[in-house]
Amino acid sequence: MTVSTDLWRQWAVKLAQHASWVLPGAHASWAEAMRRELDYIADDRTALRWALGCILASYKARLTAWSGFSPRAVLRQAAASGGLMLLIGLGLLENAGGQTKPPRPLFNETTCDLPNVAPDLRPRLRCGTVGVPRDYDNPDAGHFNLAVVVIKSEQQPSWPEPVIYINGGPGAPLTVYAAYQARTPYAPRRDLILVDQRGTGRSEPSLCPDLERKLLDANFAIAASAADDAIAARQAVYLACRDQAIGRGLDLRNFGTRITVEDFEWVRQALGVERWNVYGESYGTTVAMTLVALHPNAIRSAVLDSIYPPDPMPLQSAIVSDARDAFFAHCRQDKVCSKSFPDLAETYRDTLGRLDQNPLVVTLPPRMRQAEDRVTVTASLFEAGVSDLLYYPNAYPALPRMIQSVHDGDAQGPATDLAAQPAAAETPNLATHAAVECRDRPHLHAQLPVGASVLDRRQLYGVCDRWSEPGPLPLVPVGARVPILVLAGQFDPVTRPASSRHVAELIGDSARFVEFPLIGHNVRHFSPCGTRIAADFIDHPAQAPDTSCAERIAPIRFLPKYRTP
Amino acid sequence: MPMPRKPNNSRQARALFAALVDRSQTWRHGYDLAKETGLKSGTLYPLLMRLSEQGLLESRWQEAERPGLPPRHVYRLTASGLVLAREQELAVIAAERAGALA
Repeated sequence: MTVSTDLWRQWAVKLAQHASWVLPGAHASWAEAMRRELDYIADDRTALRWALGCILASYKARLTAWSGFSPRAVLRQAAASGGLMLLIGLGLLENAGGQTKPPRPLFNETTCDLPNVAPDLRPRLRCGTVGVPRDYDNPDAGHFNLAVVVIKSEQQPSWPEPVIYINGGPGAPLTVYAAYQARTPYAPRRDLILVDQRGTGRSEPSLCPDLERKLLDANFAIAASAADDAIAARQAVYLACRDQAIGRGLDLRNFGTRITVEDFEWVRQALGVERWNVYGESYGTTVAMTLVALHPNAIRSAVLDSIYPPDPMPLQSAIVSDARDAFFAHCRQDKVCSKSFPDLAETYRDTLGRLDQNPLVVTLPPRMRQAEDRVTVTASLFEAGVSDLLYYPNAYPALPRMIQSVHDGDAQGPATDLAAQPAAAETPNLATHAAVECRDRPHLHAQLPVGASVLDRRQLYGVCDRWSEPGPLPLVPVGARVPILVLAGQFDPVTRPASSRHVAELIGDSARFVEFPLIGHNVRHFSPCGTRIAADFIDHPAQAPDTSCAERIAPIRFLPKYRTP
Repeated sequence: MPMPRKPNNSRQARALFAALVDRSQTWRHGYDLAKETGLKSGTLYPLLMRLSEQGLLESRWQEAERPGLPPRHVYRLTASGLVLAREQELAVIAAERAGALA
């Protein structure tokens, strides 16, 4: 039999990866040390011999750690009874040939195929997949390949204990944004790990990839009107997707934060990471909190940026109402804003009434791809648009004049930006979004509450009760010992700062809470001060970070009333 | 109960000490040590781990010498490690002298 040298090298890499798996915990850095030497061994056969030695070394260390047995005696016994190494080797060769289920966490490194990657970034990227069990309770159910990208810190050597960033959604892709993430590291001296959660981005499974397109009309109809037929139409589209997924052999019970958390843990082991720093943003905080609750020993620190707490949650419309009121109150206190818009809250309420009577038809540019390049701004659409803009501090300077512009019936001016908002919103994989939310959120299995507004109708009421049973629920790590930093924005339309503070109090003494004035959802994304505080905290989680910059946030430079040119 | 400290006077341990003490101020790579001592990785790394746990060896990550390569783990003896290595050298010399006299 002839074996290509490439194959020797591949086996060497797989054996070294296996050694990493054998040596988790305190010895993980040793496994990484052995593995990295492979890159300095030019000869492929020598590399394979080196990797076989790594296996032996890792088992020796593992056995020593397990007990007071002499590793030599244990190995001698194993060799005499059939050859431990032979079994390991055969198992791994089987893996190398392509397995149907992952017997253990492995990182299969591939070439990086990512957009917008500058040449100087390329050497810092490691891309690959990790096969995770479809069903953690049934190892024979096969696996899903998750896309994983490791961005090595710009300054080498990296500090130990990398950062795992867990993005929002659920359902949003992440690895496709690796180039952006590399430019804005969470802790610049540490490696950054990105994972497309199951059913998102480049990770399997592809759950109803055409759902976003099919839902475009239905979602727009729901944003525009509270009519029952709009809700029924959306439900029909979702249920067709559900049937399609089940027809393809997918079990919708294999989704939800509790599953996602096990995926992350699997990825951690596959990468040979002993402990990592977890940065959760928005829905990512739901995952991060559950991860801290279930796998605290693998976590050095956690940042919860704009918490999305587990159920029970208030109605979304009530949370947005509070955020909106806080923004209007700020306008009242601001010299420029109050001069141009003396009672923005009243203007807002009056606009809703006017639009109820006479919706405003606004012309949009063709790139917004609206039928006949027009949008009819109803009261519901207006409410949704204002709510969405509260996410983004860079929209705050113009938000009062947008509201005033719609109020005045000006279809040409700033109203167009507001009308375009629902069409411009980023669409995650909506099927995965439903698959996770319906497992995580029992309240979505109830009927749409009385008094619900458009903001509640956009939730998955009327979908979840037909989609799947609620699953095991996400957790708040009450009493956790892991150092945790909670960041909250004053105008966050997803979670009230008071709710985030409450979660921090539930966690206990290990949690520090920082509220950022004049910020909405996703603090770090919009606040250099938040970025600095988070980075300091990740590098020194046992110390109280200097949060004084949060008290010196630059004021909003409100734009004056729009005057038609 | 703490595990008893393992002796470091095996042939392999002595070979490793000899290589490390030879250039005691230089940080050494695993593969280079393997080449110099003739130890296979399966023997070398358990020894390195053990010496490290006993406080005889220090390690750190060193930036790659060439771009595109990963950082490497490097090793050198601690002050205690150096003392032990010198003691071993003296013991070997003493044993050789004893042998010569016998």
